[in-house]
Amino acid sequence: MATNDEMIKVTNLCKHYYNGELKALDNVSYSISKGDVVVVIGPSGSGKSTFLRCLNLLEVPTSGSVVFDGIDITQKHYVDEQGNKVKLNIDEHRRKMGMVFQHFNLFPHKTILQNMILAPVKVKRMDPAEATEKAMQLLRRVGLEDRALAYPIQLSGGQKQRVAIVRALMMEPEVMLFDEPTSALDPEMVGEVLSVMTELAQSGMTMVIVTHEMGFAREVGKRVVFMANGRIVEEGTPEQIFDHPQSLRLATFLEKVL
Amino acid sequence: MISAAGFAKTWQYIQLFEQGLVCTLSLSALTVIFGFVFALFLALMRMSKIKPLSWFATAYVELFRATPMLVQLFIIYYVVFAKVSLPSFKIFGFIRFERFFPGVVALSMNSGAYLSEIIRAGIQSIDIGQTEASRSLGLSYKQTLFEIVLPQAIKNILPAIANEFVTIIKESSICYTIGVQEIMYAVSSTKGATYRIAEPLLIATAVYFCLTFPTSKIIAYFERRMSRGDKR
Repeated sequence: MATNDEMIKVTNLCKHYYNGELKALDNVSYSISKGDVVVVIGPSGSGKSTFLRCLNLLEVPTSGSVVFDGIDITQKHYVDEQGNKVKLNIDEHRRKMGMVFQHFNLFPHKTILQNMILAPVKVKRMDPAEATEKAMQLLRRVGLEDRALAYPIQLSGGQKQRVAIVRALMMEPEVMLFDEPTSALDPEMVGEVLSVMTELAQSGMTMVIVTHEMGFAREVGKRVVFMANGRIVEEGTPEQIFDHPQSLRLATFLEKVL
Repeated sequence: MISAAGFAKTWQYIQLFEQGLVCTLSLSALTVIFGFVFALFLALMRMSKIKPLSWFATAYVELFRATPMLVQLFIIYYVVFAKVSLPSFKIFGFIRFERFFPGVVALSMNSGAYLSEIIRAGIQSIDIGQTEASRSLGLSYKQTLFEIVLPQAIKNILPAIANEFVTIIKESSICYTIGVQEIMYAVSSTKGATYRIAEPLLIATAVYFCLTFPTSKIIAYFERRMSRGDKR
């Protein structure tokens, strides 16, 4: 992987709870390049979600660094191109990272359309009419243009998650983070969400996906990361991880889930 | 005790009740506004990660909930504002500002304590995922508070807020003790002039009801309006 394409570089990331008694993340280092589709797998409690949530600082790491587009976002300040020390505004970096949650987290008091145009209008000062047009295009792409004026409660789980994905896309993020996007869905709705994600991956979007969908991981992932006990145990292509596990830990995990 | 003649006598002083109504309305409306804004700050302070802010807000709320409103009012009027010379002009030509203003301050400080606990409960009832989703879209803490958290929180706590607003209207009658010319002041003046007590009290009851009942109805309307996102 060429280093100039490097988008996110995580170094020695630790997240401790209860004064270090629980190490949710234990010295994790990893690098994500532009166009990568990284799938993170592992047993529950292995630190997958914590790792993902540290990437956009929803979780503040205990130590270590997350460098995004050349800026360490775990620090309070950074040095810009002119060499000036600038105060870091995490909001500016978060808007370049879309995030999709297990429980959708649509805003229930706003319609689907309002959910989608909120951030572009409020944060990017986009014209509401322009934002609406863009939102309708995206809704069409996921087959939900007729639901634009509905409220989230009127949608099925799969529909909600598709809306959550396009809501994040409204900000034109450089990378999309998925935190178990299909875990709260009824089985028959998993497919519709995965197919939107597959399409997104094929369009060249950089993605980091925490999931339990092994078939999807193998099919869509370019890199697969296996985590256990807060550490990255193995990392490689889907073939390496699923067909030739090197560690006993991964082999037993695969035996259970496949 | 209650007689037509008594009402006729009382009716000669109906202008006092009209003034009382205007005064009570102004007192309550200002208290609702100041109390609410103050309560919002108190609630945010109480939930703040900065410990001294949180301690201050907690101590404030406990103190104001644990002492009688009358004591608070007297301390603010006779002690705090004793040293301050307020401009003595009349609002609407009759409300004495130097008595009215300390009344608004005392009522706002008291209702702020109660409202802040309601607001805090409301904010904490909103799933943390809402904040996370909003922040991950790049919205700031303030934008998240005003666009995402508060609209949902206020919807949840509207019945409790309605209760508090109605309480403010009724509690404002306590300001009569420092000479604010609200409805109970009209009762007292009319009593002094006519030696009638039952009729002025009945009129006061009617006026208070005419203020409180529509208040709860208006809030009930907003409650229905804000729950549009709840219908399947």
